Amino acid sequence: MKVRIKMIGPLIYEAGFSEKEIEIPAETTAETLIDMIHISKQRPKIVTRNGKAVAPNEHLEEGDKIAISPIYSGG
Amino acid sequence: MYGWTGNILRVNLTTKSTKKEAYSEEFAKKWVGGRGFAVKILYDELKPGIDPLGPENKFIVALGPIAGIPAPNTGKAVVAAKSPLTGFYGDGNLGTRVSEHLRKAGYDALIVEGKASRPTMLYIEDDKVEFLPADEVWGKGTYATNDWIYGKYGKGVGVLNIGQGGENLNRYAVVRSMEGRAGGRPGMGAVMGSKLLKAIVVKGHRPIPQADPQGMKALGAGDLKKVQQIDRETGWSIQSTTGVLAWCNEVAGLPVRNFRKTHHPDAWKIDGERLNNARIATYGCPNCTMRCGITIHDHEGHEAELDYENIGLLGSNLEIFDLPQVGSLNYLCDEYGLDTMSAGCVLSFYADAIDHGATSGDFKFGDAERAKELLRMAAFRKGKLGNLLAEGSLRMAREFGHNSEAYAMQVKGLEVAAYNCKFIPGQALAYGVAAIGAHHREAWIITFEIKSTTRESYGPEKAAKVIELQRIRGGMFEFIVACRFPWIELGWPLDNYPKYFNTITGLNWTLDDMWRTADRIYSLIKLNFLREFPGVTRKADYPPAVWFDPSNADTEGPIAGRVLEIEKYDSLLQHYYDQRGYDNRGIPTKDTLKKLDLAEEAAKAEKHAKLT
Repeated sequence: MKVRIKMIGPLIYEAGFSEKEIEIPAETTAETLIDMIHISKQRPKIVTRNGKAVAPNEHLEEGDKIAISPIYSGG
Repeated sequence: MYGWTGNILRVNLTTKSTKKEAYSEEFAKKWVGGRGFAVKILYDELKPGIDPLGPENKFIVALGPIAGIPAPNTGKAVVAAKSPLTGFYGDGNLGTRVSEHLRKAGYDALIVEGKASRPTMLYIEDDKVEFLPADEVWGKGTYATNDWIYGKYGKGVGVLNIGQGGENLNRYAVVRSMEGRAGGRPGMGAVMGSKLLKAIVVKGHRPIPQADPQGMKALGAGDLKKVQQIDRETGWSIQSTTGVLAWCNEVAGLPVRNFRKTHHPDAWKIDGERLNNARIATYGCPNCTMRCGITIHDHEGHEAELDYENIGLLGSNLEIFDLPQVGSLNYLCDEYGLDTMSAGCVLSFYADAIDHGATSGDFKFGDAERAKELLRMAAFRKGKLGNLLAEGSLRMAREFGHNSEAYAMQVKGLEVAAYNCKFIPGQALAYGVAAIGAHHREAWIITFEIKSTTRESYGPEKAAKVIELQRIRGGMFEFIVACRFPWIELGWPLDNYPKYFNTITGLNWTLDDMWRTADRIYSLIKLNFLREFPGVTRKADYPPAVWFDPSNADTEGPIAGRVLEIEKYDSLLQHYYDQRGYDNRGIPTKDTLKKLDLAEEAAKAEKHAKLT
């Protein structure tokens, strides 16, 4: 299935892309999706699915829009 | 006493007199500096009810024990006065070399009283204080004024100055410094203007008294490098604060069309990635480790400095998705010395009021050229409309009527920051209970709400988080006087700050000592508010009514159909009051005040209003 991934802030430069659609296996979770992208596991981050926070073990669905962001603190 | 110079400089512009006043160690330990000094001085010295733009008001510059010492991000100063925008205590901080120079001149604070007989520049060099004519730059913008000052004294001096907005008493005029820094959102620039005070220039040569100067030098130098390294590793400065724009757009927290909408398909055109691509230079404050000011060429070719708040409020909130045009609006605000955030909310409110028939006019969302004209009119108070726009959104709404106050995006008269809380309850509370009116500086809990709690929750954990952050952001960083960014954006450990404080002062404070001082300062700001508004109710701590209006709900996206619920918000507010030890009006109880050693201040408040 296909999902769209959007990287936010400095993660764009770490991952090497800003936004793209990728093909992922069925049963992919938010956590396993992170493993497919080249960003540091240590960096604290917040992952949203269609604008809402997503649990690491939550299964993704066709057409989901996933945003991966550092944890901003509002300046 | 180490860490403090022990002196305040009092200057009277009416009589052209000056006085160096010593303060006690007890005062230093109780109020520490910055916001603490400012609120205590103004509480003791101003009578409630005075005109904020009259000579009775006092303009304060206040520093803290860490201010100006080489350590991560210590080049800040607090400016404060009774606010012409909100009618009670107002303040702000800005990056400036005044931080270091005023301390080296031998003072931890400056109190400016009275009103000059002609445009004046105050020049302070150690014990020398001069009242110099500033007619040559009166009527000029902040960039030209700054250049004029640098031409006279060189770039190394400390400068605070105002633009035409402050001169013309625009109620959201700010104080400017170093050609790019600004602070004092609730009209601190207008207070300077009301005194015909165009600029303050400071040069100091003395060492700042420190308990362990060698230890602090080594600690500060090492930590400056460490924080810079963290910034490089994380890449935070690539987009600085503007990275959050794309995230707010994803989670429906972006201000669009006077906060009516929470996201927009064109938001990417003004996001941090586009800003970084257009970058021509980067600026920061003295002792900065993570410079956040990114400049671009604006629509007219000026170098305009942008961050998230001004892109959010002068860009998406006005539905202007053209980065150079947003840069132009920002440049005009900076040149005139206007708060970009209030200016953005004022213009969006005006367009919204026209849309909803509360007034008539020719300004529409998305019209950048007309927005520029309106900013000029507001800065110069040109004509009836310019005069009105210079008053801020609350006063405009009261003039327009037709229930337009519901969508004037402000709390206590101060316009909100660029986070749309239509369905973010905890951040709505943070705006509601921010000490000086809606401000993100004191608590920002949106990622906490979305990542670590349930967004729908109005539970006590959100009130607790707001208090925790108020103690840190609106408390400690504002009274020791340092920038919060290394901690808040890079995770620089918080316990470094008591370490700096103790190395400089020779004391042995813990973070708990910091929180107790923060609570004391917050309570005194509340007493200041109560004295000015003795009939206050808890409604003063409510966010704009439009966020509770179901007809304003998003029709699509992550929060479709959802808005804040008023009864639940009220219960969240009660959690905050209960945890703070405030009564049901949001005022500290007598018991709370006693515990914070504020019995004397409480007695003064009781002459004007009832305490419970």
